[in-house]
Formats: sequence, C-alpha cells, structure tokens
Amino acid sequence: MPPLTYDAIVVGSGISGGWAAKELTEKGLRTIVLEAGRPINPAVDYVEHVPPYELRYRGMGDRNRIERYQPIQRQCGACNEYSGKFFVNDLDNPYSFPEDKPFSWIRGRQVGGRSIMWGRCVFRWSDLDYEANLKEGVGVDWPIRYADMAPWWSHVERFVGVQGKKEGLAHLPDGEFLEPWPMNIAEQKAREALLRKFNGERLITNMRLAVLSQDHGGRAKCHLCGHCERGCSTFSYFSSLNATLPAAQKTGRLTVRPFSVVHSVIYDPKTRLAKGVRFVDANTRKMQEVYAKIVFLNASALESARILLNSATPEFPAGLGNSSGELGHNVMDHIMGGGATGTLPWARDRRELGNRPDAIYVPRFRNVKTKHPDFVRGYGFEGRAEREGWQRGMWSDGFGTGFKKSLIGDLGPWELSLYGFGEMLPRHENRIEIDPHLVDAWGIPALRITVAYGENEKKLFEDMIVTAQEMLEAIGATNIRPTRDDNPPGLVIHEMGTARMGRDPKTSVLNAHNQLWDVKNVFMTDGACMASTANQNPSITYMALTARAADYAVRQLNRREL
Amino acid sequence: MERRQVVRLLGSALALPLLPRSADAALDLADKFHRRLASTEVPFRTLNADQQKLVTLISEMVIPETDTPGATSVKVPEFIDLLLSEWASDDEKKGFLTGLTDIDAKAAALSAASTQQARVSKFVELDQAQRVELLKTLDAARGDRAGAGLAFGRLKQLTVYGYFTSQVVQQKILKTRMYFDSYQGNVPFTPAV
Repeated sequence: MPPLTYDAIVVGSGISGGWAAKELTEKGLRTIVLEAGRPINPAVDYVEHVPPYELRYRGMGDRNRIERYQPIQRQCGACNEYSGKFFVNDLDNPYSFPEDKPFSWIRGRQVGGRSIMWGRCVFRWSDLDYEANLKEGVGVDWPIRYADMAPWWSHVERFVGVQGKKEGLAHLPDGEFLEPWPMNIAEQKAREALLRKFNGERLITNMRLAVLSQDHGGRAKCHLCGHCERGCSTFSYFSSLNATLPAAQKTGRLTVRPFSVVHSVIYDPKTRLAKGVRFVDANTRKMQEVYAKIVFLNASALESARILLNSATPEFPAGLGNSSGELGHNVMDHIMGGGATGTLPWARDRRELGNRPDAIYVPRFRNVKTKHPDFVRGYGFEGRAEREGWQRGMWSDGFGTGFKKSLIGDLGPWELSLYGFGEMLPRHENRIEIDPHLVDAWGIPALRITVAYGENEKKLFEDMIVTAQEMLEAIGATNIRPTRDDNPPGLVIHEMGTARMGRDPKTSVLNAHNQLWDVKNVFMTDGACMASTANQNPSITYMALTARAADYAVRQLNRREL
Repeated sequence: MERRQVVRLLGSALALPLLPRSADAALDLADKFHRRLASTEVPFRTLNADQQKLVTLISEMVIPETDTPGATSVKVPEFIDLLLSEWASDDEKKGFLTGLTDIDAKAAALSAASTQQARVSKFVELDQAQRVELLKTLDAARGDRAGAGLAFGRLKQLTVYGYFTSQVVQQKILKTRMYFDSYQGNVPFTPAV
C-alpha cells in the first residue's frame, strides 16, 4: 500500500476539527480528517421527529444497557434513548480518577463528534476575560486580546449563522447576529421587570444561538422541533456534519477517514517537525501511519493532550511539545448548577407555539464594574420561561377526572428557571497523565484525570444560588425554589486548558497562533489551548481560534517557514 | 431492509451529508428513513393477575375514561409492566411490588375499620368511595421511601407519563406538532378547565 500523504492532517471531526478541515481545504490544502468513530448518516441517524411512542421506553432509554455500557455518559441528559448512540461506550473508552475526585468525561466519537449534541450557545469574550489572568496573577497571560479575535469571530459567525440581540455590553460583545426569535411573553415581562429593578446591571437577553432563525448560507431555518441533540434533518443548527464538513467536501480536497483512532504524532528529530500521525484502524486493529506537512489536533482538550503525552520521544520524554512541563496540566471546566426556579404570576391566558431549543441568557454581572469582596471572575445564567404542560402531573397532587382535565386543558403557570455557568481558574495540580495500567479498546494508553473545583469556584456557585433567587424575587416570581446541582467537573462538557497558549515557551505549550512552541507544524485549536475559561460557552471561540490558526499555518507554509 | 443492515452498510463507507435543497425535501427524506422502533405489543411478564387488576384499577382512577380515553385503553398497565420487566432495577421492582401488597393491606385495614360492609382484603374489592379515600391518603404519602405511598407515587408518575406519551393521546388529544414554521411567544390561550 502506498504511504498516505496529504498536505494537512486534522485529528478529530468535531466542532474545531470541522473548521480546520473547511479552512485548510478552502485554502488549497489536501486534507485528511481522522475520526476515531463511525460515520453518521443524517437520513438514518437523525431522529428528532420520532415521537416517544415509537420508542420502546418512550424516550426513557434502555436503562440496563446504558447503565452497563455508558455509566459515565448517562450523567449527561442528552445521552438518552434518542441520542445515546452519539455518546461513547465507556467500557471501550476507560479512564481513571482518584476516588475523591470524580470527573465526568462526556465524549462523542463519530463524524461530527460532539458538535452533533452540543448546546449551541455562542458568546464572544471581551478583554475583561483576556486580561484577567494578567491582572490577578493567575495562570499565564493570554498572548491574544479581543482585537486579535474580533475579525475571526466575525468570520465564523457569518458562516455559522448566529441569532442574537445586540445589547452593546462591553463585557459581552455583540457579534454578527441574525434576527433572534422573540422572547415569549413571560420572558419579555421578566426582562422589563429586571431592567426596572437593576437598571441594566443584571439583564435578561435572548440566547445567542447557533441555530438558524432564517435561511442562511444554503441551510434552512430551524423548524422548532426543539430536539437539536437528536440531529437536525434540515441542518438548521450548526455542526461539523451540517455545515463545515460539507463545505470542505465541496472543495474536492477533503478526505474523511472514520474508524481511525489516533495513537500519537510522529516526530522527526532531524527536522524537529512532525512527519504525520499513527492511528489504529478500529476495524482491523492495525496500526497505520499518515504523513503531512502540518498537523491540527482537534480531538478535544483531553484527547489532544493525551495524543501528545502518548507521543513521547527521547527529545521529549514527558510528551511531545512538553518542554514547559505544562502539557496535561491546568485542566479546567466551567462550574454549573447553581440557580433557581420561580413561578410567574402573569399571562395565564398566553402560550407559545414552537419549541425553541434554548431561550434566554443573563450575562455576567459580578466583577464587571465593581469588585466582589469574596471571589474573582463571574458567571452567567442560561434560562427560560415555560409552561410545563402535562408533565407537571407527575409531581403535582390529585387524580381523577378533574386532574386529567387540568393536564389536558391547561398548561400550568409560567415557570422561570435560571441555571448558572461560572468560570473556573487554572491550577497546575488539576491535571491529566497517562495511566500506566490502563489502555482503551484499541490498546492505546488511557488517561488518569485528577481535577477538582477550588474555593473560588465554590464561592461562585453559592453566589449563583443567591443572585438567581434575588432576581426572581425582583421580577415578582413566587414559589422560588433554589437549584443546587452538585455536578462533578467534566459534566459541563467545557473541558479546557491542557496545552495552554502563552507568551513564554517556558510556561506554556502553545504560542499566540496555537502552534506548539516545540514542534512548529503542530497546531492545537480545541479546548486544550485555553489559558482561562471565562464564563461564556467556549465553542465559538475554538472555531474562531481554529480559523485564525489555519490562516496563519497556510501563510507560513506558503512562505516555506514550516 | 432492516435498520441494522442499513447502519452496517453505511458504516462500511464514508457517508457525508448532502445539503438538502429545502426544508421540505429534508423532512421528506428523514421521514422516509425514520421507522418505528417500538416492538409489537408485549404480554404481561412481571405483574401477576391480581397485581394487573390493582395496577389497572389505580391507573384508571388517576386518569379515567371520560369523553377521552383513559389510562387503560391506551395500555398504560402494559407500559408499566414493560418498565418493571426491562427497565427497573431489582430494588425498584421489589419496592414497587411490595408497595402494591401494602396498598392491599391498607385496603383491608380500612375495610376492617368500616362498619358498613363485609370485610375485604384487597383494594379492588373496596367500594368506590373507599378507594378514593385511600388514594387521597396515598397521594399525600407519595414522598415515602417505601410501602404503599412509594408504590402509588411511582404508579401515578408512570400513568401520567405513559398516558401522555401514547400515540392516541399525542396525536388525537394533545395534537402534538413536530415542527413549526416560526416561533410565536405570545399566542392567546384559554384554559379548558
């Protein structure tokens, strides 16, 4: 068999790998995307319109199978009877963690990766976020600022199709927005009430969402079925499978190779560059190699770092590109789960038509204008107001004719829920390493993950519960119930930081262009590169960083500097 | 062709999506492939004859037949049996079945305390007024961790869930729509209660 040789290798086909494939192929590079999992056929695998009565357990899932094969994955709500197939088999994909530091690693191995089931909330950062490490002396300073990123956010937002409302907030910059869906009447009233009470300091705005509110770029507008995590027959929400991979395919320069589990990067000590990567063909179990001029690692924060840790050489005994000693350290996620729900007194004679997948957002308000005495950084809330409908019958009192009639004929009151997502600080001791006793189903050494939330995160979490209740009270809600979900790290599925960007090769793994300081033709543009988490959902930032790094890489290639 | 075969065939070659030309075309395409995953009807496998009677009676009391179907006619008891047989853990199943026995024990006690009629030993043998009285007590005890309250709480939840996710109720009563042309957040609604 002739050697597999391309211009570029992209490892992983998820949200950042799809972008790498699109940008590199559109700039003329023959690119192979190696995906560990199976191919997905939307016509067969997307099941967003299958009604519950067509499933054996009406959507509750084949519990025994899920508990046996997906004991970790099932902690994610989207791993259900419809979408469980988009999550990995935990027995094939083991990892270890200390007993007192549980970590929930939620993974999707298929063409499209986790972009098939992602949350679709997209926010820009501001310099409040980029400068925080420097100002507080935490971790390392980001080597980039808002001005470096703004054109690239615009670039990706225009392609993705982001709906959102311009609010003019300095700390949550507006993007290239499509007209958002309106808020429902209850959310609108809640927004107005909050504006009156907090004078804009605490604000309810429309979710900024990678779901099309109108036809865009050849993709049809959303049909409001409300079940994005099951796939989308009209390709209306953004995913690699729905958008970037088809665009890359159109160039004629894309090869996607599923069932290709990457083991390691092949380093050439003579050139001090990567030659290619080794992967296990998941069907034949044979190790193969593929070669290229540049390698983009987009396998997700922990997987991409795992590949480098498994790529140790005599020159890099602690993992390829790890002269700083920071590879695998500074693991972060967000902290989520503090919040509250309350009953709204209005609009019992109003309802909504259409199932929005996401609804409203409360941007960060802590440590924006005034400094909080107890903690640094902040959090935002995702939320919605909705009428529960018949589901409330599972928890409310009553039975019989009147009970039935109320469940069919009424929808229950509007309930407003707020669910907090907070920033996590980088800490060296939060780390991944290769577990010497554990391999996955393909014989590849697996990870030991040691991550725990620290004091600042715990304070943010407690504060979320307080401020969510304050806001509901200010809005005029009654029956306010605090939310306190004790989620282990990992479960927010925003893991980051294992190969942080920085200004100094002694303290960081990647430079300002997501390029390994030590091996210049290897780029990492997934969550691995993050030097801090901010509190915003990260995916659009990975996309923008990927497009930016691809542009840089191709320019360097063309100048023969790689 | 079986779904499994389709997946296997597609699994052997790269299958990337082609952009559908319109939403309608995409939905048609998807509908063509979406197939029923539910199996054909299953017989009772966990609940014995007495337990079936009890579960059927209580679920019908939670959601009775009126001008619209009740729990029994949309096969809620069969759904509950399916979950007990294939879904519930051994502990949950045991807790539920023990709780059913406890419901009968409470029925017998209620009957014993009553002066009106012959003693009975089962819930299904109570008169309607006594059944309602006992269910009210159990409805207030849904949070119990064991016994009759737990069994009723679970039974009520599964009745509501099984009823409202059934084909008849989804299609004919709730008229659940799968998709919408646009989102509207402020539509008049008159509660029909």
